[in-house]
Amino acid sequence: MILAVLFTNTDGNILVERYVPHLLPALDSFDSVNTFPPIPSFHGVPAEERLHWRSFLVKLGADNLKGTKNEELLVASHKSVFVVYTILGDVCIYVVGKDEYDELALAELIFVITSSVKDVCGKPPTERLFLDHYGKICLCLDEIIWKGMLENTDKDRIRRLIRLKAPTDA
Amino acid sequence: MAQPFVKKDDDLDEEEEYSPFYGIEKGAVLQEARVFHDPQLDARRCSQVITKLLYLLNQGETFTKVEATEVFFAVTKLFQSKDTVLRRMVYLMIKELSPSADEVIIVTSSLMKDMNSKTDMYRANAIRVLCRITDSTLLTQIERYLKQAIVDKNPVVASAALVSGVHLLQTNSEIVKRWSNEVQEAVQSRAALVQFHALALLHQIRQNDRLAVSKLVTSLTKGSVRSPLAQCLLIRYTSQVIRESSMNTQAGERPFFDYLESCLRHKSEMVVFEAARAITELSGVTSRELTPAITVLQLFLSSSKPVLRFAAIRTLNKVASTHPLAVTNCNIDMESLISDQNRSIATLAITTLLKTGNESSVDRLMKQITNFMSDIADEFKIVVVEAIRSLCLKFPLKYRSMMNFLSNILREEGGFDYKKAIVDSIVILIRDIPDAKEIGLFHLCEFIEDCEFTYLSTQILHFLGNEGPKTSDPSKYIRYIYNRVILENATVRASAVSTLAKFGAMVDSLKPRIFVLLRRCLFDSDDEVRDRATLYLNTLVSDASVGGTDEDVKDFLFGPLDVPLVNLETSLRNYEASDIPFDITSVPKEVKSQPLAEKKAPGKKAIGLGAPPSGPTSVVDAYEKLLSSIPEFSSFGKLFKSCSPMELTEPETEYAVNVVKHIFDGHVVFQYNCTNTIPEQLLEKVTVFVDASEAEEFSEVLTKPLQSLPYDSPGQTFVAFEKPEGVPAIGKFSNLLKFVVKEVDPATGEADEEGVEDEYQLEDLEIVAADYMLKVGVSNFKNAWENLDPDNERIDEYGLGVKESLAETVSAVIDILGMQPCEGTEVVPNNSRSHTCLLSGIFIGNVKVLVRVSFGIDGSKQVAMKLAVRSEDPDISEKIHEIVAEG
Repeated sequence: MILAVLFTNTDGNILVERYVPHLLPALDSFDSVNTFPPIPSFHGVPAEERLHWRSFLVKLGADNLKGTKNEELLVASHKSVFVVYTILGDVCIYVVGKDEYDELALAELIFVITSSVKDVCGKPPTERLFLDHYGKICLCLDEIIWKGMLENTDKDRIRRLIRLKAPTDA
Repeated sequence: MAQPFVKKDDDLDEEEEYSPFYGIEKGAVLQEARVFHDPQLDARRCSQVITKLLYLLNQGETFTKVEATEVFFAVTKLFQSKDTVLRRMVYLMIKELSPSADEVIIVTSSLMKDMNSKTDMYRANAIRVLCRITDSTLLTQIERYLKQAIVDKNPVVASAALVSGVHLLQTNSEIVKRWSNEVQEAVQSRAALVQFHALALLHQIRQNDRLAVSKLVTSLTKGSVRSPLAQCLLIRYTSQVIRESSMNTQAGERPFFDYLESCLRHKSEMVVFEAARAITELSGVTSRELTPAITVLQLFLSSSKPVLRFAAIRTLNKVASTHPLAVTNCNIDMESLISDQNRSIATLAITTLLKTGNESSVDRLMKQITNFMSDIADEFKIVVVEAIRSLCLKFPLKYRSMMNFLSNILREEGGFDYKKAIVDSIVILIRDIPDAKEIGLFHLCEFIEDCEFTYLSTQILHFLGNEGPKTSDPSKYIRYIYNRVILENATVRASAVSTLAKFGAMVDSLKPRIFVLLRRCLFDSDDEVRDRATLYLNTLVSDASVGGTDEDVKDFLFGPLDVPLVNLETSLRNYEASDIPFDITSVPKEVKSQPLAEKKAPGKKAIGLGAPPSGPTSVVDAYEKLLSSIPEFSSFGKLFKSCSPMELTEPETEYAVNVVKHIFDGHVVFQYNCTNTIPEQLLEKVTVFVDASEAEEFSEVLTKPLQSLPYDSPGQTFVAFEKPEGVPAIGKFSNLLKFVVKEVDPATGEADEEGVEDEYQLEDLEIVAADYMLKVGVSNFKNAWENLDPDNERIDEYGLGVKESLAETVSAVIDILGMQPCEGTEVVPNNSRSHTCLLSGIFIGNVKVLVRVSFGIDGSKQVAMKLAVRSEDPDISEKIHEIVAEG
């Protein structure tokens, strides 16, 4: 399963944050996960856990992404979960997966994401450029990941799909 | 960089380029969403509004139920527009909003229309949206279209339907399973992605049917699978088939191995890696099979991509645990990874090298690690320390460099867990490598001079007290210990006093000087420290006057506390202050078996500093309390053991009964725990009639009936038997539950006056030899074994005939004896052909028993067993053999 995809700017502010419901393992044990009534959740992930994951990923990026070249992949593992992350222009991208989505599958996934984003923006995006194309990027993500599974992997195909054009190889 | 979503006016001017979403507000966007209702739709403007809504959602903003419903209805209006970009946005928006069941109905007709549209892309997207929001009733309506879509000639449509199938399988598996013919057809598709999705779905549909999966793999491994992703899936399914088939076929060529090997030459890295990993994970893999896989992994080690390096080293690390020799070829590549930018890779490289390293390379390796340690986090350091510990145990001659390394890192900054790992390692090395003792103790002494962790200080002082006096020059440790009395907190001071006393007891030449030091402790500000000092001074100074001998003193100071701490704690809590002093022999010794998870906890096996393992025993305690509250049983003496409850009824029957066997020296008490599960009945005068005709040595002495057993509130009835004192008599008992049953009106809860006598057959129960054995572990089996008189040893060999597996046999023998396995020897490694298990226990009459039992299994699964028993009483040793022979 692909458990989470996170886009932030270089300061760690969130641009896009998506999780697969109920599957994200707790980073540590949180008592509040079981409290009633449930705290407002987002994509089925309790807010506190989500914040914890968010800060975990952002810290990971802050510690390691400085001076990294565009699209150079970094990798980390936490318990049974893998994280692959990179920087593209002013945008940091993190993907989290487990089981069949190990570091290699995630590398494939992040490659699709970065190439699609570049494709939409025309170059490695500044934050402004990224936000200008926000709608399209959401559509790309929709084509690439479907509820925790990788669906499309080819950027040209994705470019056509988000405009509702049939892929050329059809 | 501008901060979207946060209103800050002052940092605006710093950045010319700021977010198009600057200052976005949910309320305003929801207002804007009204444009969706315009009769003349402005597609561009609508897209912009949807983008804003998506931005809000992706920032973690939540819509209330009302808001979401409003937006959803507005969005459905947009189906009127023919603009494709907008339509694509609409599909996404509906998925994001995930409307509730009663709202879905609004869009289904629009989506059904799109699903049959001529535009392929409308079809694909409509399928995806429908499957996302649909429930099972709607699904049966659209099932026909989905089946068609799976074999649609447009690959996008086919993929959409297939991936929908994968998702729906979790919620509506029955429906999806009906599609397997279509999916089968899609597996043959020419489009790579369709093939991949179809393969995944087909496997999920058939995953519980081994034969079908095996057929699938056989046919596909011959043919050509186009996409690398599908190839990876196939490799996974193949290794699954190999795993399952290897259970049946013992020898011969491994099926499908050729296929895996051919994948190592695939042009996609992903496939190569998957195949290599599959090969390394084969059970019982040979070194010939491993070689090609290791070779490709070695190539990955020097890849420019960190991900590939990580993947390769991670796999090699695993292989190194089982086949260290196979990995040695990669040592040079791995050494260069120690300086890798990525710390995860570097740590994995180090720990792998520590597993594969040979004696000559140790020194060089240690030097490299020293440089590396300073810039990694504590959690990585602990991994390295543990790896070094096992390396040192492997190459004891190299203890000097490793001990130096450990002492160096002990002096550096670090958290508690890290320091504890180092101290534990040093202690284990001292214990297992006699030459390392003096240098190790010296390092520990240095450490406590400046140790901020009370726990570690006290543990080290305890250890020092046991080991220090046996060294060539015990006096040199005294300074370090006494410094603690002067400088540290009360807990550490108290430990230091005990340690001083141990030196005094063991080393006569030091005794006078120790007395001087202990006397100074009498003026300590803390009660515990003063008490200890007084106690030790009295025991050491006036051996004769207290009536003890030198042996007694040593026993007192060094002897193990032969009761589990938890038991002692509960007994002390229950003790009420009175004239009768607390009697330590009254503390139960039974160690309750711990949950498996706890046993497996890391670090548990390295029993730190010799603390005896202890477990919770509250249940035993509760039984003892219960029995002692019944006057009839008071003459039976002290409870030896209570067995765990055994069910005498099937689950879900009218009356649930289980029995607990309580063993006394000359008696046995059966405690029947009864539960009435019928609300309309009240049971009275409940007894169990026990037929002991197959238990000749037992005679019934009394029955204690249960007066009333209402619905769902458990009660107990007891039956007691007399048996020959101290003899492990065995026998079989049949049980019949007898009672008077009264009807109860469930409405009022009142019972009828009149009752009917009735009875209910229960299962038989047995008293077996294991019931006379207490599970009591020893912390050091070897020492305990040598301390028992070899003359009391009895050895015999047994042929056990054909058995399914060694592990099963071992656990059966453990069960027959009812003893506590020591040092983790109850676990039999996979595929091993011989095993030795160490058991310990206390037999009735408080006789300590140790058993060393070795098993061997041959090709035809014949198992032979050699049983060596030592105990404090030769007759008991004989008796254990009798038990095994009968079992």
